Amino acid sequence: MAARIDEFLIGVKPQREWGWLVISYLFLGGAGAGLFLISLYMDHAWAGLLGLLVLVLGTLLLLLDLGRPERFWRAFFRPWTSWISRGCFFITLMVLFGALQIAPGLGFLWESGSALGSVIKAVSVAAAVLVMIYTGFVLSPSPAIPFWNSALFPVIFFVYSLLAGIDILILASPFLPGAPLDLVSLERLQIYLALACLLLVLSHLSVMSSSAVAARESIRLLTRGRWGLLFLGGVIVAGLVVPLALSWAVLWKSQAQAVFAFTVILALLRLFGDYLFRFLVIRVGLYDPLL
Amino acid sequence: MARYGMVIDLNTCIGCNACTMACKAEHATPKGIFWAKVLEKEVGKFPAARRIFLPVLCNHCKNPICQEVCPTGATYKREDGIVLIDYDMCIGCRSCMEACPYGPRAFYESDGAYYPGERTAYEKSQQDFSEGVVMKCNFCVERVDQGLDPACVVTCVTECRVFGDLDDPQSEVARLVADKKARPLLPEKGLEPSVFYVGS
Repeated sequence: MAARIDEFLIGVKPQREWGWLVISYLFLGGAGAGLFLISLYMDHAWAGLLGLLVLVLGTLLLLLDLGRPERFWRAFFRPWTSWISRGCFFITLMVLFGALQIAPGLGFLWESGSALGSVIKAVSVAAAVLVMIYTGFVLSPSPAIPFWNSALFPVIFFVYSLLAGIDILILASPFLPGAPLDLVSLERLQIYLALACLLLVLSHLSVMSSSAVAARESIRLLTRGRWGLLFLGGVIVAGLVVPLALSWAVLWKSQAQAVFAFTVILALLRLFGDYLFRFLVIRVGLYDPLL
Repeated sequence: MARYGMVIDLNTCIGCNACTMACKAEHATPKGIFWAKVLEKEVGKFPAARRIFLPVLCNHCKNPICQEVCPTGATYKREDGIVLIDYDMCIGCRSCMEACPYGPRAFYESDGAYYPGERTAYEKSQQDFSEGVVMKCNFCVERVDQGLDPACVVTCVTECRVFGDLDDPQSEVARLVADKKARPLLPEKGLEPSVFYVGS
């Protein structure tokens, strides 16, 4: 293991500890919880199952990122101070109560209309929302990396997670048992969510542009530097603006018919933009110079 | 109770890295990992250009954010203010490294042995950590507990480091801090470091 030369220089330095495994967890964990949440709204147990599977896959990647994955259970020890520890509880609650919630829809176990069913549904909804936002709280209290130090991150992650969850649902819709999904309604919802993402991301950039030195450097990397093409072209244009414009133009009319191939392309573009957004957020995390 | 701290005189430091090597020798840290190091930067323009040096180590903050974000409780603070890691509890999530603005922590991933495939007898005797954990400066707690100064302090050839009890008004570190001659790095982060600097 060789030390990097910039370890010995005074200046703005990039974080290098969290890489593609953490980024993929941020994406899959959020998308899985978002998909589960929308499945409850649509009362579609199979979509809920898919959401739980996506979350579990993301969590496995997160475990692989640990230096000592066999000690993962110790991460439950500090929920009163650590958001990572709280996240472990949120994920566990969501998987357990989510499985109980969807079980009747899959033909198992118990009658969902009982009082117990209402409690299970309430807990699984709360856990899903918390899984969607807690990663924002993992980043936002960091005094070390000013670009992450923003109260907007939990909100941004919530909206992006919902957007990605619905996109996965659109892509999976031909393969899901049960009643066919109303793709027009889903795509219309995506218009609002994509618009919210766009406004939130631009607001975050605006706030950060007058923040600390490292945050301004992060903005420069995202707009004019190394990651400019990926951020402006991938996250903003391909991931949000193009799907937003196409969706608005084609589906806004009340009698519009959703063409599956069309919604698939839009969903793929948005998912690409979402993953790229989370990738870039982690990549442009920079520490302030010590002097 | 004492609160241990350190004051480093930047006007006296010559960037020789004796502290860096004393730390490696004391703790037998793996290849590529430095608990103490000397950062440098070139300032000014020719013909007035010069290098400035900044010796850094864990700041053993009064409000350690690393302890707050640690999900396992592996990072903890002793009553004397020294922040330590219980390597048997660390899961290697590196959240502490992301949260600390001072960059003193290192992740011991693998391939850290100077002689691949084996550890020397000295490494075996000094290392209480294993692969897959985060590690950092411990203020030479094994020396401090014996009433000795940390290795970086006693080895400094220009005597630019002073170690002592910040809560003891008679100590040199406390006087330097009280006289406002010493300042911490990035005070705006609110972590109240126990390592201070004088000079520029």
